[in-house]
Amino acid sequence: MQAEGIDHIKFTTISPDTIRKLSVAKLIVPDTYNEDGYPIDGGLVDQRLGVIDPGLKCKTCGGRAKTCPGHFGHIELVRPVIHPEFAKTIYLLLQSTCSTCHRLLLTESQIKDIGAVVKTFVTTEEETEPTTVDITTLTSTISEQDSRMLLVKKLKSVKKCPHCEAVQPKLKLERPTFFYVNGNKIKPDEIRDWLSKIPDNDLRLYGIDPTATRPEWFVLTTLLVPPVNVRPSITLESGERSEDDLTHKLVDIMRINQRLEQDIDAGAPQIIIDDLWELLQYQVTTYFNNETPGIPVARHRSTRPLKTLAQRLKGKEGRLRYNLSGKRVNFSARTVISSDASLTIDQVGIPKRIAENLTIPVYVTLWNIDDARKYLESKEYPSVINVILPGGIRKRVTDVTREELLKELKPGHILERQMIDGDLALFNRQPTLHRISIMAHTVKVLPGRTMRLHVSVAYPYNADFDGDEMNLHVPQSLEAQAESRYLMQPRDQILSPRDGRPIMFIEADELIGSYELTKEGKYFTKDDACRMLAAVGVYELPKPGKGGMYSGRSIFSMILPKGLNLEAKGSDGKVVIKDGELIEGVIDEKLVGMAGGALILKMFEDYGAKTTRDFLLNITKLALMATAAMGMTVSVKDYYNPDSLNVERAKIADEVARKAESILESYKQGKLERLPGYTRKETLELLVMAQLEEARRIAEAALKKNVTVENMAYLVAKTRARGNILNFVQISMLLGQQSIRGRRPSRGYAGRVLPYFRRNDKSPGAKGFIRSSFFDGLLPKEFYMHAMGSRDSAMTKSLVTAVGGYLQRRLINAMQDFYVSKDLSVRDASGALVQTLYGGDGVDPTKEKMAQEQKAK
Amino acid sequence: MAAPRELIPEHELVSESDVKKLVKEYNIPLEKFPKIVASDVQVQKLGAKPGQLVRIKRRDPTGNYVYYRYVVQG
Repeated sequence: MQAEGIDHIKFTTISPDTIRKLSVAKLIVPDTYNEDGYPIDGGLVDQRLGVIDPGLKCKTCGGRAKTCPGHFGHIELVRPVIHPEFAKTIYLLLQSTCSTCHRLLLTESQIKDIGAVVKTFVTTEEETEPTTVDITTLTSTISEQDSRMLLVKKLKSVKKCPHCEAVQPKLKLERPTFFYVNGNKIKPDEIRDWLSKIPDNDLRLYGIDPTATRPEWFVLTTLLVPPVNVRPSITLESGERSEDDLTHKLVDIMRINQRLEQDIDAGAPQIIIDDLWELLQYQVTTYFNNETPGIPVARHRSTRPLKTLAQRLKGKEGRLRYNLSGKRVNFSARTVISSDASLTIDQVGIPKRIAENLTIPVYVTLWNIDDARKYLESKEYPSVINVILPGGIRKRVTDVTREELLKELKPGHILERQMIDGDLALFNRQPTLHRISIMAHTVKVLPGRTMRLHVSVAYPYNADFDGDEMNLHVPQSLEAQAESRYLMQPRDQILSPRDGRPIMFIEADELIGSYELTKEGKYFTKDDACRMLAAVGVYELPKPGKGGMYSGRSIFSMILPKGLNLEAKGSDGKVVIKDGELIEGVIDEKLVGMAGGALILKMFEDYGAKTTRDFLLNITKLALMATAAMGMTVSVKDYYNPDSLNVERAKIADEVARKAESILESYKQGKLERLPGYTRKETLELLVMAQLEEARRIAEAALKKNVTVENMAYLVAKTRARGNILNFVQISMLLGQQSIRGRRPSRGYAGRVLPYFRRNDKSPGAKGFIRSSFFDGLLPKEFYMHAMGSRDSAMTKSLVTAVGGYLQRRLINAMQDFYVSKDLSVRDASGALVQTLYGGDGVDPTKEKMAQEQKAK
Repeated sequence: MAAPRELIPEHELVSESDVKKLVKEYNIPLEKFPKIVASDVQVQKLGAKPGQLVRIKRRDPTGNYVYYRYVVQG
């Protein structure tokens, strides 16, 4: 029978009668297999519960291991035990009902008062939801529901039952399952008795529907035993059987249950019976949740804690997060990535071995049947792996079946064809933090074992090529393919959804190449110009400049679209492009790099995605040619200081240290003025720290005066291609002040950081001021100070990423089903309003320019 | 300590006829609007009761933004 739709789902507790009805076998033997390795009847792997061994037949449904779904059994508990997950509910019920007459501790008039509300609460399911809600009824329900909970909570302080006048005892719950009345332990059977006497009508007042749930079911008398399919045993290599943790736990329960029964029958003393009873309670409690607070963890023979029901579901490795929210997929691949400057940002290079394994469905129609036949005929690489016949039967294409399948081929068949150039595939790098972590690339099948991508898309994926791996997914349905093609290609994602500026740009070698190529006075011979332009597929030359040489700017202009006009600010001044000609200025970071990318932005806006994608490819190639032509290299020589600079450096360090000492001196003399909000000591540290940090700044200025752009190390830092000026300063000038948590190092030995110093020495050197450079090498004490600073920053860095990552995860989880609806309001999955206008201003940063132009019209 | 006046966006009570219009405009029942507790200082000041709707007019460099909150018990 097929259900036509789900109207509603109701969760209730299961009654002992239901358990017996569900059960196909009452289990009585606390064991699994007999000596012959055959399942014991009435044991925990009774064949009526289903079979998992291939040869056997299920005694209930007659099915084999593959067809039998498994059947529930049950255990009759000799003495009832509390269901540990319901202990709190039981406690609430006991507290708010009379211990003698078991009625709710409320007078009739009080009950009448809240009765009406509860009635609506229980019966709301039947009513259809009104489209417009009456304000008054809604609010009254909420408020009275709240006060009802408060009321029930207050009932524990009622001293005398309003119905039978009985004095109420003091109740106590000792976690997880022990109840006390006036300090005396009460047993589960008494509790069950009490709960069973609470009248149905009183239960409704709690919101419990008595037709579905009776509270005495919270105390277990029978235990449902899951089918063996849920707890399969595994056969080890040695032929030995190893049972599932749940089976172990159930054996424990049955063993105690059996002993309890024998002892009761034999008339054993009450103490012994009570002990066994409590042991049974313990076994059942751990069966449900082996991490129940307040009781010892049940362990396997090997001292490993048992994984019982709750543990199967809970947490990252539990059923929900591991198996239901996260699943493994087909049609995917993963390998190491590397860069390839000859691929566009829209492409991805796929190793042939992967392309041979991944398939694309070809839906055979009248129009492509000839093409499809060609693939099916082919015995090597671009060939068909499977044919899916109408009705969904999948047939593998082999040399034997090919002929027949070819004969049968007709529209409506689906061929699973090997991946070829031009197919679309989704490319992903984890962590998938934003939408540009998954983009649709056009496949290019290549030799080798790595997947290749253009360097400019490495940044949005946050990938580098030091061993990073990435995943590839092949969209199978036409819908998915269309979505990928029209929404997810890198060229359509060039602008960042954060600020509308390019997030695909050029870096490092290409950036410095672009700088070199377009700087003032750069000229190339005809030979060089031809070579460089041919690399980007341009087979004509620009107008030659003076002396038959070609300016770098004119060469660069060849990859600009005709008609492009731009005036922008570069790092070194104005940049002017007129009608696709670079007239003035250097193409640097602000034009094509991370710091703005004005040229890329302009091109995207004026010429669209494809032109920009091609430009990114061309500038990469051209700039790499320029870098190669200039012979860009950094050597130790670049960090070598002339004697004059070394003298200056020493002076700077001396001067800064002297100033710091003078602050220290005025502190010692008590002349130091306290800064607002700080103590004198803090003021001293603050001022000294600020003074010492000056050192780097002054050293940087001195260094800059001494170097030229001939110095590649400097040029590379200046153009932001690699490294920064601080790195340079620390290599050839001085390391400067080291800091721990934003302060000068202060802990270690009594009154000093390292044993070399005098106690309470607050001089620069004793507190982490390093005068040496990496080039000269560090003194031992400096080395320690530096190591301390490094450790501090390494710790901070990892902590910040962990905290930030978790924070982001929580935000994503909270907002994952929000969407911008067509009236520009933000809604959640239920349609509830989140924002009346997206972001409060309805702005999509990537389309801001378009919006403004629209407005202007 | 109360926030300075200029930092608090203007709150006002939505008239019943406007409520009907808004429910229709956004095509959702009232309780699917964002919520605000009745104990909120601004709500108290307006004297708005649970079940009523409050209009909040925000102003920022990008322009004006009208937001609604449904008053709930609390």
